[in-house]
Amino acid sequence: MTGTSASQPSYLDVTKGLFSWIFTLDHKRIGLLYLYTVGSFFLVGVILGVIMRLELFNPGADIIEAQTYNQVFTLHGVIMVFLFIIPSIPAVFGNFFLPIMLGTDDVAFPRINLMSWWLYVIGAIFALGTLIFGDGPADTGWTFYAPYSVKTGTNVSMTVLAAFVLGFSSILTGLNFIVTIHRLRAPGMGFNDMPLFSWALYATSWIQLLATPIIGITLLMILAERVLGIGLFDPAIGGDPILYQHLFWIYSHPAVYIMALPAMGIVSEIIPTFSQRTIFGYKAIAYSSMGIALVGYFVWGHHMFTSGMSGPSAWIFSLLTFFVAIPTSIKVFNWLATLYKGSIDIEVPLLYALAFIFNFLIGGLTGLVVGALAADVHLHDTYFVVGHFHYVMLGGTGFAFIGGLHYWFPKMWGKMYNKAVAKLAFAIIFIGLNILYFPMLILGVMGMPRRYYDYLPEFHTLNQVSTVGSWIMVTGLIIMLVNLFIAHRKGKKAPDNPWNGITLEWQTKSPPPLYNFDKMPKLAKGGPYNYPNAKNS
Amino acid sequence: MSRLSILKGVWLMLVLIIFTSSYICAQDELGVYEHLDEYIGDNLVFTDEQFNEINLKQSIDKPTIISLVYYECPGICSPLLNGFAEAMDRTDIELGKDYQAFTISFSPTEQTPLARKKKKTYQKLVTHGDTEGSWKFFTGDSTNINNLLDQVGFKVKKEGKEYIHPGTLIVISPKGKITRYLYGSDHFLPFDLKMAIAEAAEEKSGPTINKMLKYCFTYDPEGQKYVLNFTKISGSIILLLAILLLGTLVIKGRKHKKINT
Repeated sequence: MTGTSASQPSYLDVTKGLFSWIFTLDHKRIGLLYLYTVGSFFLVGVILGVIMRLELFNPGADIIEAQTYNQVFTLHGVIMVFLFIIPSIPAVFGNFFLPIMLGTDDVAFPRINLMSWWLYVIGAIFALGTLIFGDGPADTGWTFYAPYSVKTGTNVSMTVLAAFVLGFSSILTGLNFIVTIHRLRAPGMGFNDMPLFSWALYATSWIQLLATPIIGITLLMILAERVLGIGLFDPAIGGDPILYQHLFWIYSHPAVYIMALPAMGIVSEIIPTFSQRTIFGYKAIAYSSMGIALVGYFVWGHHMFTSGMSGPSAWIFSLLTFFVAIPTSIKVFNWLATLYKGSIDIEVPLLYALAFIFNFLIGGLTGLVVGALAADVHLHDTYFVVGHFHYVMLGGTGFAFIGGLHYWFPKMWGKMYNKAVAKLAFAIIFIGLNILYFPMLILGVMGMPRRYYDYLPEFHTLNQVSTVGSWIMVTGLIIMLVNLFIAHRKGKKAPDNPWNGITLEWQTKSPPPLYNFDKMPKLAKGGPYNYPNAKNS
Repeated sequence: MSRLSILKGVWLMLVLIIFTSSYICAQDELGVYEHLDEYIGDNLVFTDEQFNEINLKQSIDKPTIISLVYYECPGICSPLLNGFAEAMDRTDIELGKDYQAFTISFSPTEQTPLARKKKKTYQKLVTHGDTEGSWKFFTGDSTNINNLLDQVGFKVKKEGKEYIHPGTLIVISPKGKITRYLYGSDHFLPFDLKMAIAEAAEEKSGPTINKMLKYCFTYDPEGQKYVLNFTKISGSIILLLAILLLGTLVIKGRKHKKINT
């Protein structure tokens, strides 16, 4: 790394034109490519979700038929899980900020990085291709449970292929980050000097690398069964449907932590910055990410308590599930301890981080409820589960994603958004989210099953409340998007360090130069969040 | 004794009672009750097709496949021996060198001349290996037959002149340990046969390739055949690659990259 050098152009100004973007090797541009594609699919997923909520406004088939409803919730799940939440934070902010936070100029393998994005696009094309080709999108739910997924006439093969290709994209991103973190940290930056977002990405990347191949193989097995008639999961031809569920959840539960850990990483960045305080329990937060990644591997069976499982297996899985709560709670207590006596500056990113804690608390605690054996028998496959995971996914990861976007927006584009409008949008989204999902928890306890277009009359009111919540939330999302779009087009120029942050991304220009730094960044003495030192220096 | 120990004891007793009772009930029924990992006794003496009195255990010095039939069987015995012969013919391991075969009649009334006649018929089906010296056709008296059937868990029932019986090949290790039951009435995969023999031979440390095969294939007791253990293989490969990656990264350490301006 050179000590000083001439000023470089911003990464946005180096070259122009579509090809300079879609074939770029710059990690920041690739991060933005992901942002635009992932964001677009998020909007598609939201539209599908709203269609479902509209259908459920009244009992009976109102705007779509049962079969269409099945296909809509499958597509909503596939898009939201595989095309939005899993790639969202690592692929967008990880790509953009990991090298900068580590004080280097790019990821370890820029070409593989670009290939990951292209694989993502190809996977997305396959997923959307199901709308056009064959007998329509899959109607299996995003879990593709066998033997139904083997037998249904809808276009499961193409959807499965999409998930398979997207898996490769995820693996390559994970591999890239692991090598980058090991090999490209700035001189003097040990593992324990890395920002916590990097730690979160490190833990996430290992999960991506180890768990994703399993889902890839499993999905190939479904294809083999559908196309070649090999009896793997369908009992009619000698297969074992429970085997499928095991294989699926061996990946898909750790995948929940692929979604959650980077979100926690963003919260760990936002809270110290807006408290202007050293993060409480740096190592505890860092290592608990690894702890969650590790324990998260051994809890998949809790998705299958009602599928047929021996008593001892069930209670062991239940116990292990409860263990995951420990490292998660460590993080929450440390965030709160960081805020305590801090110089709190209530800016938009912090609001999202605080809302993350609130929502994640509901999502996490309801997770413990369904992780308990006796309760799960009652709640399995009800709206309680739908409410629970939406609190975790959208209330948690989604809020962290939006919070991260507001936190790093000035750095990414060098523009500042209208903070008052952003706060208004936050309030509407937060209220909308809770009105949308909290009734689902109650509906679940009342016994409303998930995955039906219809319901009994006693569930009517709460379903209407939930649908109204979706309207409120969508209104908030639109305000937020318009606000950010206007800021992007003609927002005020943002300073290099609008939040007084001390991690390395705040030491470079906004937007960053092509190779991230014009001069060698200085590491904060005493760790990446040592604010008093930073102020004194 | 603590309360916990008493509870544990009660649980153990209950489990034992359940297992024993189901085992006892099961023993009354016709079929194969696997006695895997048990050794055959040295009290089993049968007469081969050459009229030699042979102690089975003493004559087992290599993996041995025992087929239990009766020579005048109008049912599954002939197809079973045909299938067995066909598998021996198609496998690339050598009868006499890598393994031997014993076909034993469980009918005490059948005599050596009939055994010799059957041998002539079936040995024609195997085109390689020492079929003359290493595929023996035995007959025996009721005491030895019953001892053998008990030791290998092969339950037959006589009805009139005929027997109702299961169809299986039993694989014995060179030390006389029962290592595998291969089920089938008329068809055995040469690969299953080879795997079972490799497994039986393990006491003599078989070639590495067979160990690899054994790792990749496991015996499925329900399907009663060897199946490719897909999850084990893919899991191992994934873990191996991950360890390799971590090892490389740790060894290579940090790369001091210059910021390219």
